[in-house]
Amino acid sequence: MLKTKAMTHLLITGLKERMEETIRELYLQHAFHIREYVEGKDVEYEGFVLGKPLPRAGSISEELVRLRGVLSLLGIHPPEASVKERPKTGDIAGRMERDLPSLEEEVEGLVSRKRDLLEPRVRQLEEEIAVLTPFAAAPLDLDMYRGYSSLAVFAGKISHDVNIPVPHEKFFTSAVEGHFIAVFVRTGDRGEVEGILQEARFQPLTIPEGSGYPKERLGACRVDLDRVKKEMEETDHRLGEIRSQHEAFLLACEEILSTQAEQFEAPLRFATSEGTFVAEGWVPTERVKALREGVARTAGGKVYIAEIEMGHETRDVPVDYENPPFARPTELITDLHSRPRYSEVDPTLPVAIIFPIFFGIILGDVGYGAVLLAAALALPKILASKEAARLSAVLRNCSISSIIFGLLFSEFFGFEFPWHPILFSRHLVIGGEAGEGPNIVGLLVFAVWIAIAQITLGRVLNAVNQSRGHHGMKGILGQVGWIVTMFGILSMIWSLFPIPYMPNLTALPPVIMGLSLSALAGVVMIIAGIVFIGMESSLELIELPTIISNSMSYARLAAVGLSSVVIAIVINYIAISKLIEPNLETLTFMGIVLILIGIAVLVVGHLLNTALGLIGGGLQSLRLQYVEFFTKFYKGGGKKYRPFGMEKRFSED
Amino acid sequence: MALPIEPTAVQTLAALTPDLIKASQVGTKAIAASIAISTTAASTALAEYAIGTAAVGATAEKPEVFGSVLILTVIPETIVIFGLVVALLLII
Repeated sequence: MLKTKAMTHLLITGLKERMEETIRELYLQHAFHIREYVEGKDVEYEGFVLGKPLPRAGSISEELVRLRGVLSLLGIHPPEASVKERPKTGDIAGRMERDLPSLEEEVEGLVSRKRDLLEPRVRQLEEEIAVLTPFAAAPLDLDMYRGYSSLAVFAGKISHDVNIPVPHEKFFTSAVEGHFIAVFVRTGDRGEVEGILQEARFQPLTIPEGSGYPKERLGACRVDLDRVKKEMEETDHRLGEIRSQHEAFLLACEEILSTQAEQFEAPLRFATSEGTFVAEGWVPTERVKALREGVARTAGGKVYIAEIEMGHETRDVPVDYENPPFARPTELITDLHSRPRYSEVDPTLPVAIIFPIFFGIILGDVGYGAVLLAAALALPKILASKEAARLSAVLRNCSISSIIFGLLFSEFFGFEFPWHPILFSRHLVIGGEAGEGPNIVGLLVFAVWIAIAQITLGRVLNAVNQSRGHHGMKGILGQVGWIVTMFGILSMIWSLFPIPYMPNLTALPPVIMGLSLSALAGVVMIIAGIVFIGMESSLELIELPTIISNSMSYARLAAVGLSSVVIAIVINYIAISKLIEPNLETLTFMGIVLILIGIAVLVVGHLLNTALGLIGGGLQSLRLQYVEFFTKFYKGGGKKYRPFGMEKRFSED
Repeated sequence: MALPIEPTAVQTLAALTPDLIKASQVGTKAIAASIAISTTAASTALAEYAIGTAAVGATAEKPEVFGSVLILTVIPETIVIFGLVVALLLII
């Protein structure tokens, strides 16, 4: 409880000839977190060098690179892919040798044909068609546009037909876009004709290469283009076919090759001498036995496993969570801050309970809660990742809490249920309606009570941390000091001012210097607390004002919640009281339009407010955990536990 | 010389004065509350603007600092909460 998984520090030493089997066993067990060996860093490893990859590593990597290339050509991305059935590794191995090379060759061939041959051809044909199209309107052979010594040729687009005052031959058509004109004049008249054409905004076109009638050539080009495009479609179709037929097989191959590559390269993380290897790392204590047995079985007694005792310095120890199932998704929130250190209290469990409660207090509304619950249940269907599943579980807890607090606050999309709020009322009175209004004082005091509870819990957890660490009694007393100071201040306030929903000690008779017994107790507690804090670290004394500021910060539970209610009530007021209701009495055309606008305001408004509530409720309660709660006891910065091995997604052993 | 205001009007005004004072007190309190909330909100915005800009930059460079910069970004939010508490205490 509140602890991360116990780890055991292992040193695996063995003969190099048994290294491959040992690695395979460690990989299969998926429990050994390797401590990377860095040459020359540790004194005790003198004489050792970094290991070399196993002999077949190079060829496996090559195969893997080729296969990944093919996967990307087919548009398959292993991290996002999902398969229905997972083939057996044993079945795949045979097929991999037989089918994979030819499959890869086919895909590479198809793609390179498409990319290097068909696509350039399409571009070329399209260009040719674009050039030929204007000329196709004129019944002239392309040869007739060039090869003259005494004639000048103009061919191009023009805004309108023109009259040419010198001897000439002209062809004009408006059948093509931008009108086509071809003019043949004597070389001597070129300048004059050029001027006339310029006035009509003549744009010369390049005369296409080759000979023959443009219309015929255009026809041939189009036929060719259709053929090439069809061939491209066939290629795409075939690639699609390969993808749908072989996706599972290819993904399984990729996974098997990746696992092999990782295993074959593992010696790069070990220290080796001429005949031996040493692998250092951590294993969850509960799995040490299985690991020892497995290695002993495969390595035949040629590999020795020793346990190294862990001292106070646990900074390097990888950290894995150990929480009850309902709290596991909340590890996402802890990881977002940072992973706990090995010897530290894991805050996941308290956060798993408190975070949804805070969310519920802020967004206490049955309607919004139900909408979010539906969203939470739908999320895993849209996103298949592990993170999405955890997020959806956190959101589900939060929305259930919202519904419960919605019943307590008697809220449904800003409306009131038939019953009076069981907790404090958050219903505001707007638009001149009668009503008692929200119980703001109650809500604020409620928030302060929550602050007192959570801050005390944070300090207690810090004391637990101190007792586990080597600070001992002094550290624990420091935390007691913080708690005592806080309650001392509270006792003073209660003795001086009557506050609703809090103990009223103002009526106690004064004992000394006009102070009552409770006020005096408060003063004593504050002084004692400050002494305890100072004994632990005098620097911490500058943090004393945070007792007040952190408690006040919890007022956001009331404030953000109220703002969400105000928005809901305003939406209802505008949509129902102002737009829908007045027009229901006598139905006119304008009235119906206004009713429809009212319904739109209602739906869009509440959807927006749900989104705002999600952001407000989520971020504000997250902040209270991170800033007000975690700062009391949590440091974080632990290393993530990454066991050697891989979870198989596409194949089965 | 005739008075600028009718004597009856003076009497009415005198009778109204306590109400007027009360009403203006309510108004002044409302203005005070609005100053409390608006100045603190603006200060929070100003502080978060600077921190937020740096936070986005830092996260772009090093995504794993997201958790810590989120904390830094939301720290000034307490300022507006103080303003809100003061404003609520003024108007309740």
